[in-house]
Amino acid sequence: MTKTTNDVNALAVGANETRADAKAKAQGREPYAADYYPDGVLWAGAVRPGARQGVAHARLLAIDTAAAAALPGVVKILTAADVPGTNRQGIVHKDMPVLVGDKLRYAGDPVALVIAESREALRQAIGLVVVSLEPLPAVCDPVAAMAEGAVRVHDERADNLLAAAEIRLGEGAQGLDHCDVVVAGSFSTPVQAHGFIETENGVACCAPDGSLTMTISTQAPFRDRMEIAHALGLSFDQIRIVAPCLGGGFGGKDGATVQCLLALAALHSDGRPVKMVWGREENLLAGYRRHSCRVDYRLGANRDGTLEAVHCRLVYDTGAYAHLGGEVMALGMEHAGGPYRIPHVLIEGQCVYTNNPVAGAMRAFGVCQVTFAFEAMIAELARELGIDPLALRRQNALLPGDTNCAGVVVGESTGIADCLDLIAGHPLWLERAAWKDAAPPGTQRGVGLAAVFNAAGYGAKVRDSAIAKVELTGDGQFVVHNAVSDMGQGNAAAFVQIAGHVLQQDAARVSVRQPDTATAYPSGSSSAGRTTFTFGNALIVACEQLKARLINRAGLLLFVDDDSTLTLVPGKIVHQASAREVSLARLAGFLRDEERSCLGEYVAPLCPDPGTGKGFFIGFPHVVFAYGAHLARIEVDLSTGQIRVVDYLAVTDGGQVINPAMYDQQVHGGVAQGLGYALMEDLATRDGQVLAGDFSRYLIPGALDLPEITSVACPGEESRGPFGMKGIGEVAMNGPLPAVANALADGCAIHLRDAPLTPERVLLALESLAEESSQ
Amino acid sequence: MSAWFSPDSIDDALALIERHPDARLIAGGTDLLVRRRSEMSDIPLISLERVAALQGIEEVREDGMLAIGAATRIAELAVSPLLAANAPLLQRAALSFGAPAIRNMASVGGNLCTASPAGDCLPPLHALGAQVELIARAGRRRLPISDFIVGPGRTSLAPGEIVTRVLLPSRDRFAWQAYEKIGRRQSLAISVVSFAALLRLDDEQRIAEAHLAWGSVGPTVVTAPELANWLLGKPLDQSLIDVAAERARAAVCPIDDLRAGADYRRALAGNLLRRFLRRVQHG
Amino acid sequence: MSEIVFELNGEQTKLAVSPTRRVIDVLREDLKLTGSKEGCGTGECGACSVLVDGQLRLACLMVAGQLDGHRLTTVEGLGESPLGAKVQTAFAQAGAVQCGYCTPGMEIAAVDLLSRQPDPSRDEVRAALSGNLCRCTGYVKIIDAVCQAADVLNASEDAQS
Repeated sequence: MTKTTNDVNALAVGANETRADAKAKAQGREPYAADYYPDGVLWAGAVRPGARQGVAHARLLAIDTAAAAALPGVVKILTAADVPGTNRQGIVHKDMPVLVGDKLRYAGDPVALVIAESREALRQAIGLVVVSLEPLPAVCDPVAAMAEGAVRVHDERADNLLAAAEIRLGEGAQGLDHCDVVVAGSFSTPVQAHGFIETENGVACCAPDGSLTMTISTQAPFRDRMEIAHALGLSFDQIRIVAPCLGGGFGGKDGATVQCLLALAALHSDGRPVKMVWGREENLLAGYRRHSCRVDYRLGANRDGTLEAVHCRLVYDTGAYAHLGGEVMALGMEHAGGPYRIPHVLIEGQCVYTNNPVAGAMRAFGVCQVTFAFEAMIAELARELGIDPLALRRQNALLPGDTNCAGVVVGESTGIADCLDLIAGHPLWLERAAWKDAAPPGTQRGVGLAAVFNAAGYGAKVRDSAIAKVELTGDGQFVVHNAVSDMGQGNAAAFVQIAGHVLQQDAARVSVRQPDTATAYPSGSSSAGRTTFTFGNALIVACEQLKARLINRAGLLLFVDDDSTLTLVPGKIVHQASAREVSLARLAGFLRDEERSCLGEYVAPLCPDPGTGKGFFIGFPHVVFAYGAHLARIEVDLSTGQIRVVDYLAVTDGGQVINPAMYDQQVHGGVAQGLGYALMEDLATRDGQVLAGDFSRYLIPGALDLPEITSVACPGEESRGPFGMKGIGEVAMNGPLPAVANALADGCAIHLRDAPLTPERVLLALESLAEESSQ
Repeated sequence: MSAWFSPDSIDDALALIERHPDARLIAGGTDLLVRRRSEMSDIPLISLERVAALQGIEEVREDGMLAIGAATRIAELAVSPLLAANAPLLQRAALSFGAPAIRNMASVGGNLCTASPAGDCLPPLHALGAQVELIARAGRRRLPISDFIVGPGRTSLAPGEIVTRVLLPSRDRFAWQAYEKIGRRQSLAISVVSFAALLRLDDEQRIAEAHLAWGSVGPTVVTAPELANWLLGKPLDQSLIDVAAERARAAVCPIDDLRAGADYRRALAGNLLRRFLRRVQHG
Repeated sequence: MSEIVFELNGEQTKLAVSPTRRVIDVLREDLKLTGSKEGCGTGECGACSVLVDGQLRLACLMVAGQLDGHRLTTVEGLGESPLGAKVQTAFAQAGAVQCGYCTPGMEIAAVDLLSRQPDPSRDEVRAALSGNLCRCTGYVKIIDAVCQAADVLNASEDAQS
């Protein structure tokens, strides 16, 4: 059968449409920031002497650039004295120098910026810059950093505290006094690297009029303008940021990486384009990373399993600079009671400066640390009480209208109980006993659960808004002007699908233009599970407006006065009754340029202050949450301690599903990153120096390390979300570590409290268990 | 930018080495080019990959040995019928080496000359009693592998010398052969401990001959000849296995590093031997 | 500089280049073939995977001199073979593409596998892709894509025979 244009189907929300970006990416044609090599491009790179000299904290005495400057091909070497503005960057706290002028606070602090004709000259010149440092005592342990008399990372912070806050509900920690059973534990979580495959990079050019155009691998093009303007003393309307598809982000490209350095380089490159690409080693040294965390819990319940009280203490290590450390801590605290009803709550959090590399935003920030500990506590409580761990979770699961541990009354879209019920009915759970019994010789099998949730949106006091633009081109096609970067999660493809659905167009007639501050409008960052939620809502408004305008104009042309008789279909508007129609291309010809575009605006809902928090600056609390219930089946090699995750089931409440395949992609990806966090990832440092400095030492899971992952969408609807959806990019990250740890406890009776759960830790725990039981 | 030479005969290669004493030899490049990123970008490179005499796996008639050309790719080891018949444990090591692309590039000679304590081919080559053949202008010589690799990253390759072949004595009469690599992940695994073994039982189920080798538990491969000798003539029972595992723990001398601690490595060294002997015991 | 002659995506190519320049730099910077990516520079991620004489190699651990006289295929030339085109289509349709940065390398590794083993098991696919890191997908849909491509390939061969 030959296909005619009448057979073309409009895109539909809820359908498994092929991602709009998939074909170009599969053919290697999608241009990423790293793929731009303009003619005559110069190369810029930072001198980071701390790592080279093995010091994490030092006074900068002198920089001798003579030998480097004399090298053929070196264009310029810049230091802090050449930075024209405040020389400070940071999303909330502007505490991070673009180039350090006085002292190094961590091993990756840059002191000079080299611009060269070639990458080879750049590499050699960086090696020839001589930096004199006076080492200072370094403080690399967050608890030690808070002690009286500790070395100060920032002179103005005597206690090294970036932030400290508490959440109190009911009787707080006193609630534990009335409990029949109290379990307690202390936990630690590792530093995790984002491990995006495209490292931090960009290319910049300064025009003769002083305006800067930059193509950056960034999650926040509009904020970048502000950061650069502030740091370099420029006016932000001089700066244009283009943000092509990212080769991964996961939070690590939210906040300045190459931006200010590259802009500074461009200002000194005489109008030539200049490129900066961090190598993997530089990424692991100077890129952001997940906060490590120390967690102490006491959790109390009644004999019947009703959760009564929780007391939690959290210490996050933010490293040398703030980035979003305070907000990371706040979000962790907000989730420290799990997706359960607990009447008495005391959660205390601290976020501490150290001389470690800088921690920042990473998928499910703050939350995956506490979830590990809390869900291990729940499992332990179930064992203490002799209650089935799934039943205990179900019994206490938040229901619509309940108050969560932050004191927020949760809305209709609270599906944790439903997620748990789907686990309860799944064969991987129902058939667990037989499966465990069938463990091959030399192995033991275990099954573990985790109930998880993750807030979506920026949280209180941070306006979470978007401005979407949709345009009918002169030839009758539609273009969505995306303003929130697509780091791979597929939001741009979701926008195409939403626009196609509202405007009733097929895939060939809707395209997307990736963020460009010159043509799109400020819409916040690609982060926090808010990207599709917030921009998607704005886009619906824009598309509805454009649709109404087109129908109105078609009515004019077709002499039809009843809009309801006109239908927008792929490529045209038709009047069914008279079989008359006007093509969109023709219609476009009747419109002036400014009429062919519509803007839609949206501001995400905020939570009324529940009055439970103290010490929070911004980002507490939230009002929209995604939920999930996870199950891991593992097999432990008793000779080696190796854990093989055999099956993994993730049930997710993300409201309505816009695209089932893309939904699964997000869940799979979160689980994969979470399993890496559970099993192997550890961006360890010693005295502030990165030990796992490349991809042979910093290990992320490969194809042989992950199981078949089953993703199940729990039916639900978030009425405030576009087409009833809520963001699920983060929630799946939280499940794997606790689920695997609980499976280990189930299968082998060992209770690892320090992550990752390496073969070494497992085998040594198995050996000490064997010793105990033989005594 | 540095000089590049790609000779197609051993004679030409030797002449080039003489003319460029500062040059480095490169076969697959999977180790050398990683290090070259940061260190030695100006050093001339002499590539051996086009030297036909350094390629391939064949039986050497006169002494019944298997000869593996030094520039033979690991991928070729992984599919060689000759190795399947004569040295399956080396084949298993080749199959777990890096990842497919690395196996298509890396060479067995390169693995020897890099002399990493974690080199994947090294424990099987030790267990097999491999000899390393070297050539220089002055002539050829042969060394047991244990004399060739003298420390982490150190070999007895003399200036002007090239590794030509790795020679394996025929050990096909070993009914039991094992190779295991334990890493921190399965994909692209770098060994935390690796273990290679050849073992033969006599008609009364006593150990007639054993060759054992562990990687990543010392500066070079640990072969524990005392332990292998101690096993000889003993019946393979549970108490023997327990003592052997204990002795293996004592025989290795691992260090703590980022990948694992010494205690874990020691435990693994014993456990891998235990697992192997149990498998033999249960036939 | 020296002259290097090789076949690039089916075209005979002569290049004046330093023979010790990395192949990944020759491709991306000199020839503007930016489909091959660099993720680590140390052979640990597979984003720079290419085919040399039909065999999987890493462009970050090869130098230009090694190409002389050989046949190089990158993601840009992959679609010209029926196998490569089917793999690319399968990746797009099976949801194997997220950020897409590992995708070219994954496809190259998949083509290398399917050219040797047209009907692989999922475990064989995992092993064949084990040198290619992906941070977005968890690999499930990538493995789906490779198996789908194999199915399509085998079906079209059945139809022809």
